[in-house]
Amino acid sequence: MQRILYLIQKEFRQILREKMYLGLIFGMPFVQIVVLGLAITTDVKNVPMAIVDYDHSMMSRRMARAFGETESFNYKGHAASSAAARQGMDEGRIQLALVIPQHFERDLKRGRTPTVQAILDGVDGNSAGVALAYANQIALKLQRDWLLQSGADPRALQDMHLVQLETRMWYNPSLQSVNNIVPGIIAVLLMAVTAFLTGMAIVREKEIGTLEQLMVTPIRKGELIIGKVVPMLVIAFLLFNVGILAAGLIFNLWLKGNLFTLYLLAMIFSMSTLGLGILASTVARTQQQAMFIAWFFMVFAMLLSGFFIPIENMPDFIQAITYLNPVRYFMVIIREIYLKGTGLMLLIKEGLALLAFGLIMIITASMRFQKRIS
Amino acid sequence: MTSNTFSVETENLTRKFGSFTAVDSVTFRVKPGEIFGFLGANGAGKTTTIRMLCGLLLPTTGDARVAGLNVYTDSEGIKQRIGYMSQKFSLYEDLTVRENVQFYGGVYGLNRRAIKTRTEELLTYLQLQDKADALTRELPLGWKQKMALSSAMLHDPPIIFLDEPTSGVDPASRRDFWLLIYQLAAEGKTVFVTTHFMDEAEYCHRLSIMRDGKIVELDSPEALKQQYNAVSMQDVFLKVVDRGAHE
Repeated sequence: MQRILYLIQKEFRQILREKMYLGLIFGMPFVQIVVLGLAITTDVKNVPMAIVDYDHSMMSRRMARAFGETESFNYKGHAASSAAARQGMDEGRIQLALVIPQHFERDLKRGRTPTVQAILDGVDGNSAGVALAYANQIALKLQRDWLLQSGADPRALQDMHLVQLETRMWYNPSLQSVNNIVPGIIAVLLMAVTAFLTGMAIVREKEIGTLEQLMVTPIRKGELIIGKVVPMLVIAFLLFNVGILAAGLIFNLWLKGNLFTLYLLAMIFSMSTLGLGILASTVARTQQQAMFIAWFFMVFAMLLSGFFIPIENMPDFIQAITYLNPVRYFMVIIREIYLKGTGLMLLIKEGLALLAFGLIMIITASMRFQKRIS
Repeated sequence: MTSNTFSVETENLTRKFGSFTAVDSVTFRVKPGEIFGFLGANGAGKTTTIRMLCGLLLPTTGDARVAGLNVYTDSEGIKQRIGYMSQKFSLYEDLTVRENVQFYGGVYGLNRRAIKTRTEELLTYLQLQDKADALTRELPLGWKQKMALSSAMLHDPPIIFLDEPTSGVDPASRRDFWLLIYQLAAEGKTVFVTTHFMDEAEYCHRLSIMRDGKIVELDSPEALKQQYNAVSMQDVFLKVVDRGAHE
C-alpha cells in the first residue's frame, strides 16, 4: 500500500512538471468540442438548388418561393432548362434541381397529377436522402394549401381523411446533430486519454530504463499497475469534467440526467480503455509503437461505436461485431444520460456489459504485464 | 552445494533466444564480500547473465542461486536482497535528487522516518546537500551514477549487481565510483560488476572473461596475468580474444 502511494506521488510530481499535461487536460476538451462539435454535423442545411420552371405559372412560382423560404435550401434561382440544371450540378453549384413541367398549373387544376422531377446529387447519399425528404415535405404542404384553396367543399375534403403527419422530435427537438455529437466527443476524449496516456506512461519508463529498475525492486506487479493507473484516472476525471463544462458553455448543452450515474459508468468504461493502454505497453518497446497500437484499436472502436455512423445502418455482421466494442455501450449511456436524463436502472444492461469488458481487459492486461523482460 | 556459503552460484546456467545461445552453460561461485568482475566484448552474454541472476529473465536451463534463493522459484525474494544498477541510467531525470531518493526508498519499503534519515545520510555522503532540490538531469554523469548506485542500495542489500556502471563517465569520476565499490566490499557486501575498462578489471578480486556466451577464464587478475605472461589485464584480454578468433 505504502509503495503505491510513493508511486502515485512520483507520477504526480512528473505530471505537474510537464506543462504539456496541463494543456492537454484543459485545452484539449475545449478545442475538440468546438471544432468537432461544429464540424461533425449531419444536419442538412442550405442545400444549393435551382428550379427549372417550364410552366411559368402562379403555382410554379409559389413552389419556387416555398423552397426559397426554408433554411434547408439555398435557392439559387431559375435554370433555363434541364440541361442547364445538369451543368450546374456537374459544376457543383447546385445539389438539387426541381423540374416543373409545362402545364403544371393547368393539370393540377384539372385534377390530373402532374409530376415534378427532383434531380439530386447523390455523391453524399445521406445528405441527398435528407434533402429529398425535405423537398417532399414542402411539396406535401403546398398540396394541402392548394387543396383548401381549390374551392372544393370543405366537408367533402374532411371526408377524404387526408392524413396529416404532425411530428414532434423528443429529446432533441431542433434535431441538432450537435446534441448527439458532443456527448460522443466527451466519450471519445475519455477513451483517448485513458488508453494513450496509460500506455505511454508505462512505455516511457521502459524507454528510459527506469521500468527495468522498478522490476528489480520488491514492488509487486499489482502495486506497479495501480500506481500507474490511478494518476491517469485522476487526469481523465479532470478532463472529463472539463469536457462536460465545455459542452455546456459552448453549446449550452447541459447534462439532463444524474452526474454521478455518469461518473460511475464512465469509471467502469475506463477499465476497458486503461486495460488497452496497459496491454499496448506490454507489446510496445517505444512510445510510438504504443501510440500506434492504441490508435489502431481506437479507430475501430470509434467507428463501430455509433459515434457518427448509426449502428442500425451497418450490415448485419458488422452490427454483430459492434457488440464486442465497449465504446458502443458507453456511447448509448452518455447520450441517454445527456439528452434524456435516463437513470441507472434503465442503463443496467449497458453497464453490466461494460463491467464485463472492463474486467476482461484489466485481467488480461495484468496477466500480460510481467516483472520480467521478455 | 550448500547455499549459505556463496552469495551467487550458478551451474550450467544457459539462456537461449530462439536458436541463439546468449549464455552457454556458465558455472561459477561468488563469495560474500568479493568484488567479482565480468569481462567480455559487447554481446558476450554479460548482461544476460546479470539479468538472469536478478530475476529479470528466466534461464533456459541450468541452475542459479542468489543469496541462497533459487532464481526460478524465488525471484521476488532475491529482489529484496539485491541492489541492481543497469547500463541505462535508472533515475528519474525530471525529479529532484531528493525526490528520487524518496521514491526509491518508498518502493523498497522503507518507512517515512527511515527514508528521511537515509536521504540525509546519502546526500551528506555524496556531498550533494546543496544540489538536493535540483533536477537530476542537471547533475554531471559521474554524480548521477553514484546517486543511482546509492539509490539502488537504500534497502541495504548484501549483494549488488552493477552492469557497466561507469560507461561514459570521466576517469576521475570512475576512480571515485570504484572507491565506493571498495567501501561496499569492505562492509561485507558482494559486488558483481561487468565492465569493459581493463584498468577497472585490475581492481576486481576475481575475474571471469566471457566469450560467445561461455566463461573462458576465471581467476584473480594476478593469476591471469601470470598465466598469459602479460603485464596488464588489457594484454590478457586481447590474448584471450585473439585465441578465440583463431579457434
